[in-house]
This record gives sequence, C-alpha cells and structure tokens, in this order.
Amino acid sequence: MLLPVLKRLGDMVVAMFGISVLVFLIFFAIPGAEPASRIAGRNASPETVAAVRLSFGLDQPLPVQYLIMMKKLFITQDLTSFVNRGYKVIPAVMNAAPITLSLVAGAALIWIVFGLLIGVLAAAFKNTWIDRLLMVMSLIGISMPAFWLGAVINLFTQSRWHDYWLFSWVPPLGYKPFVESPKLWALTLVLPCFSLAVGYIGIYGRVLRANIVEAMQEDYIRTARAKGVSESRILIRHALRTSLISVVTLFGLDFGQLVGGVAVLTEIVFALQGVGKITFDGLLNLDLPVIMAAVLYSALFVVICNALVDMLYILIDPRERTDG
Amino acid sequence: MKTYYRSLLGCVAGVTLLAASTGIASAEYMAEHRGGTLRVVAHSAGGTIDPHINYTLQYWEVYQTIYDGLLKFKQAAGADGFTVVPDLAEAIPTPENGGKTLTFKLRKGIKFSDGREVGVKDVVASFQRIFKVSSPTSGTFYAGIVGADKCLKDPKTCTLEGGVVGDEAKGTVTINLVAGDAEIFQKLALPHAVILPADAPAADAGSNPVIGTGPYKITAYDPNKQMKLERNTNFKVWSEDAQPDGYPDVVDYDFSLTDEAQATAIENGEADWMFDQVPTDRLAEVGTKFKDTVHVTPLTAWWYAPMNTNIPPFDNVKARQAVAYALDRNAMVKLFGGPSLAGPVCQVLPPGFPGHEDYCPYTAGGGPKYNGPDMDKAKALMAESGMKGQKVTLITEDTDASKSLGTYIQSVMNDLGFETGVKPISTNLQFTYIQNTKNNVQMSLTQWYQDYPAASDFLYILFGCESFHKDSDSSVNIAGFCDKEINDKMHKALELGVTDQAAANKLWAEIDRAVTDKSPAVALFTPKHIDFTSKRLGNFKFNSQFYFLITQAWVK
Repeated sequence: MLLPVLKRLGDMVVAMFGISVLVFLIFFAIPGAEPASRIAGRNASPETVAAVRLSFGLDQPLPVQYLIMMKKLFITQDLTSFVNRGYKVIPAVMNAAPITLSLVAGAALIWIVFGLLIGVLAAAFKNTWIDRLLMVMSLIGISMPAFWLGAVINLFTQSRWHDYWLFSWVPPLGYKPFVESPKLWALTLVLPCFSLAVGYIGIYGRVLRANIVEAMQEDYIRTARAKGVSESRILIRHALRTSLISVVTLFGLDFGQLVGGVAVLTEIVFALQGVGKITFDGLLNLDLPVIMAAVLYSALFVVICNALVDMLYILIDPRERTDG
Repeated sequence: MKTYYRSLLGCVAGVTLLAASTGIASAEYMAEHRGGTLRVVAHSAGGTIDPHINYTLQYWEVYQTIYDGLLKFKQAAGADGFTVVPDLAEAIPTPENGGKTLTFKLRKGIKFSDGREVGVKDVVASFQRIFKVSSPTSGTFYAGIVGADKCLKDPKTCTLEGGVVGDEAKGTVTINLVAGDAEIFQKLALPHAVILPADAPAADAGSNPVIGTGPYKITAYDPNKQMKLERNTNFKVWSEDAQPDGYPDVVDYDFSLTDEAQATAIENGEADWMFDQVPTDRLAEVGTKFKDTVHVTPLTAWWYAPMNTNIPPFDNVKARQAVAYALDRNAMVKLFGGPSLAGPVCQVLPPGFPGHEDYCPYTAGGGPKYNGPDMDKAKALMAESGMKGQKVTLITEDTDASKSLGTYIQSVMNDLGFETGVKPISTNLQFTYIQNTKNNVQMSLTQWYQDYPAASDFLYILFGCESFHKDSDSSVNIAGFCDKEINDKMHKALELGVTDQAAANKLWAEIDRAVTDKSPAVALFTPKHIDFTSKRLGNFKFNSQFYFLITQAWVK
C-alpha cells in the first residue's frame, strides 16, 4: 500500500515541477511581461525602473529567479504579488479555496443526485417518451454554457424581477462565509451551484444511461434474471454499480479541475472570489506569483482527486480488490 | 475717509455674518446627513495600498480622505479642484532663491489616526521614503530635490541631505531644489508626497494600511474582497478646503463585481457608486430610467495615436500629417460610444486645461474646432511623402473599444495607401510594450490622463526630448519626438512658470500648436466620465483633479 502512495507522490512532485517551470518560462517569453516597468508606473524614470528591478530580484538570471520564487512559495511561504506589493499569495489562495470548494461541492451534489436520477430513469424507461424527454433535457443542459446561464439567472434575479416575491430571497452577488452566517452562505451559493451543475447533470445523465443500457446486456445480468432477481434490484444493485466506475473516473477529473479553478466563469458571473477568479485576475495583471501559486494549487488538486478516484475504484469494483 | 471706514466696517460685518450663517447652515447640513454606510463597488482592487507607491486613480480618489500632504488640491467640485491649497503647512510659501527654496511652516495640533502629533521629523522621513520605496514618480516629479540623484542611485540609504531640511524648533521644513520648478506645488499636492509617520515601513506596505491624518482611516484591506474606511477619531477640521470632514461613518469599498453587476447593484440600491464605467450596453437603460443619478463630466485626458518619428514611414512629417487629416474623429467618437462618452479633439492639450487654446489644423476647411476629415488633402500629402505601400503595424489594447478604433484606423490608413496591420495586446501590457523603444513600435493607440493640471504634464512628458530614452523600456515619449526648437521653448515655459504662470501658459499654447503641426501623434478625442450613483446618495461632487469626492457624498 505504501509503495503506490509513494509512487503517486513522486508523480505529483514531477508533474508540479514541470508545470512550474513551464509557467515560469512562458511568462518571461511574453513580450512586455517583464514586470519592472509595469510595477514602476507609466512615467517612471529609467533609474526608478532599475531600482524596482533590483528590489524584486529581477536583475538575477532566470534560473536564480525561479529558485527564489520556489523557495518563497514552498519554504518561507512569503511569496508576494508583483502588482499588490506586500500581498502574500499563499494566504490569498488559501482564503479563496473554501469559496471554490463550497461552490464546486454544492454543484457536485446537485449534478450527482440529478445526474444519477436522470441516468437511471432514462435507462429504466429506455426508448419510451420519458427516456426521450430526459435525454432532450440533458442535451439542453449541456448546450447551455454555465456563464451564460449564470448571466441570465442574474438578469432575472438581480435585475428584472429582483423585487418580485419569487426572487426576493436572492441575496446580492458575492459570498458570505459559513462562519459568519450559515443561512446567507447557503443562499449566496444556491444559484451559482445550480448554474454550474446544469451542464454536468446532462453529461452525467447521458453517460450513466449509456453505461447502464450497456451493462444490462451483460451475462451477469442475464444470470441474475435467471435467478429470479427483480428488475429494480438488477438495475440498482448490479447494473448501476458497474456503470458507476466510469462516472467516478469522470467525477474525479471534473471535480479536481473545478476545484482547481476551472469554475472561473461561474465565479466571475456571481462575483465569487474563488481560486478561479484569483487565477483570472493574476492572468489579467500578468502577476506571475499569483499565477504560479494558483496553477500549482490547481495541479495539486487534480493529482489528489485522481488518487482518490483510484481508491474509489477499489470500493466500487470488486475486481480491483482481487487484482490488488 | 470716515464714510469709507464705515462702509468697510459694514462690509466686514456683513461678510462675518454671512460666513457665520453659512457656517451654521453647513454645520446643520453636516449634522443632518452625517452617518450611515456608503457602499462603493469596483471590479477589482487597485493594487498596493501604499500611498507613496500606488499610481492609480482608483486609490488616489480614496487617499483624499485618508492622507494629507504639505499642500493639497482643493476638495471642491469642478475645476476649483485644480487649485492647490495649504494642508499640513500653514500657507503656500513664497519661493525664494530663484524658486529653488521653499520653506513650509507646519500647522500644530494635527494628529495621525493613532493619536501621535504630526511633526517635522515625519515630513522629512516621508520625503526620504518616496525614494526608499522607489515611488513611481521619484525619478520624475521629485528628482529636482537636492540629493535626489543620490537617493535614486541608492534608495535604501536615502537621506536627501540638503534637500529636505527640518527645523524642529521653528516647526519648519525647507525643500531645496536644484532649479526652480513651476509645478512643484502641484507635485507636492499629489498622493505620492503625503506625510506618513516617520516610522512607516521603508518598504512597500502592500496590503497593510499606513496611518494618515485625514477624517478616515483604512481599518481593513483585502485586495480580493474589500477595503473598509472608518472615521479617524483623532481628526479635527483644520482647513475646509484641504481636508473637510466626511459624511458617512463607514465606507465599504467592495471588489470583484463585474461592471454589469455593479450597475445592477446600484439600480437595486445595494451599492451607492461604481468605480468602473457603466457598460455601454446598459447606457441607454441607465440614462433613461436613472437619469437623475447619472453624472457626465468631460475629462482632462486624451486618446491619441502616437507615430514613431524615428522609423519609416512616420519619420516623414507629411505621412504623419496625412493620417491626421484622414482620420474622422466624429466616427471615432461614435465607435467609442457616442457624444455622451467623448468629444473630438485636434490638439494635445485637452479643453479646459491650462494653456489650451482651441486649435484644429487637421480638419476640412481648417478652423479652431473639428469639422470632419479632409481626405483630399490627406491623399495629396500622402503622395508627396512617397510612403505609399509602406507596411505599418498598429498596436492597440485588447479592449472592445480599442480594437474597434484600431480596425477603423486600419481601414482609413489602407485607403491612404499604407498596408496596415492591427495587433491588439493585453491592456495590462500594452502601455509597457509601446513605451519600450526596443520594440520599434510604428504606431499605437493609447490614452493619457493628467497627473496634475499643468500643460507640461502632456506636452513635455509626452513630447519632450528628455522623455525619450533610446533602448529603454520606460520611454514615455512613445512617438520618440524630439524637436530641439520646440524643446527649448518647453524649457523656457517651465522656467517662466516659476515667476509668471499666465505668461507660461501663453507659451504652452504656442508649443501646443507647434507640436500639433508636427503631428507626432494624432489627437483623437477627449473622453467623458460617467458616474452612476444610487437614489439615496446626495451631495455628489466631481473634482476635476481626483474625480468623485467619495466621503463628501452622504447616504443619510
């Protein structure tokens, strides 16, 4: 058990090293990205730019600059932004993480529940009007980009029908920490979670339906039927369980990516200062320390989620246990 | 004689009574509206909170109510805001020694928000700190202080010896300049010269607020979330012009709302003012449904297209003039959002700015105002220049407005005979890119907003020989324009301003015409600023220097 974990950790270190080097090199390859003259301001004298370059260590060779940045990021943990001088990026990312995590966990809960429901119902009523209706609805969900849906939701709930009884409960855009007000925390997240989840409900519903339909043709299902097991038990205990393997793989990747910052558009539309928004702002300002911290955080989450998925396989698929 | 004294006495009594009644009315008005929480919103924070470093209008607006300098721009509505008034200093000193020596006497009893009294040592230390933290303007605005050259070379050990001299016993601070500077009072009134406690960190404060002397202090700052201002209980009004008391008890400055969300929040009464401009697709809605709370003000700024005078094809003056004749400013104003958002211009100095005298050589029929393009003249000049068929790359920002203006310029220039390409660059990089002479940018589209109301802030900074630095990434004279005759006149105007600003402004008007004639850049339009406020917000004041006076507005 220890060896695979160590192997995973080794992979993680190599992946994160590669990513950090790539981000660093790409940054300095962008024309005009060298931050000294941007930091110094629009009318700075060459002397001021030189002083800024010196104070930020930007006069050092690139490998030295890279090592200094990694030391500040992982050892002293006092890496500061180029734009907001003195602003420490690690606490910023750590403060943003609960926001993204709340958003993505809420959305994941919605899409897993409804995705499973749609997938199972559509498979159970295969080729009936219920199946067709659910699949069309899934397709509509997939076709609606989360940011567009979010903008439309805001148009109605924040603007046009803001004072109408139906939406009077919707709080202003933004995030309220759970510790400050659990009720407001939940209310501010309901619509962002919903808009983020809609597309995934469609995807998961369709994937699960296809998997269940395929599983229902398998020999072990025929055997179960021959043994007189009820159709609902076959569907839930046997076909669904097998079909969940690919859904779990998908979920691990999606969840990891979203927590790592891919939910950026939803965060922007709903004014949530999550990791995605921080990454987005870092990119807009070409603020390398922020980009570096956010990207490595994202990579870390993707790797961790994949490791968790591997463990979940063992729980779901008995073959994995015997193989192991 | 008696009658004269009687009438004089009467006048004095009348003025005193009027002042007293105005004072009472003002006090009553203040008492009536004092209190509440003003919520302002912006898309993002403005960077470091350090007043000696931050160079954004967003925070310069906020600093007005938190910090004080020896001098300050008057906190009044309109162009009155261009007036420099004494702040921590008792009076604006009369320059001595040919304008090279300025002695300020400090007011007594003014306290920082932690209760410590402002003293001479704080002033001296603050001027040293400008250099120690490599303030963006240390090498330009304050480089004329004696000892600044050493400080620029070695910021950490900066003492400004002989440059800023304090006398604790007399309560005075003397600033010695290398040469007279007509604009030194304006430079001293900018946030980069505010007075901080002597023990303020000698490094960028980042997101840790440094205390000041104004009626508010920053009690919390998270660039990803919010800046909170609360009353400074140690504040007492010493000058209504420089630092009046504010109305709200608290100002919450929230970040991270998109401009759409900001406008919606104001419409719903959830926010009182938005820093960002109302998105163009909401202008019609906001302008009709909320017209009473929309405030439109022309800015002393310009959008312009610098052309590199050192490389082909714009090293040829006729090629530059051809472009200036051909571009239709009215069409560009329309692309920018229409006359409610901009007005066409032909010259460097914006309307209403010191030294501005209407001048428009590049228009159909000529005249002081813009009447439309003159394509025939443009084509004739183009033929004379021999630059037809030359390739030109235009660098724009990647905003919608900049890209559409770039595409328009491209089409006009192609009509003239150039082969033009447009290269949009990220807004955060574009200015750095185009002011890097190593990039050999032929033509670009950019903007310049005043630092302070002086003609040199446009003409000398953007077109002075000393603003051009070869092989440098900080050459703000983007056109690389250097005309010795015009530059000599600029120096003369700068010197003249020390003793006679009106005469200097006349000379600046002449320089404005000369630069415009040489066309190192095409003047396009001057933008207008839209402030959208909530229904409950009262006493909105737009100051020409620092824009919205945030704490002069009330919400109660």
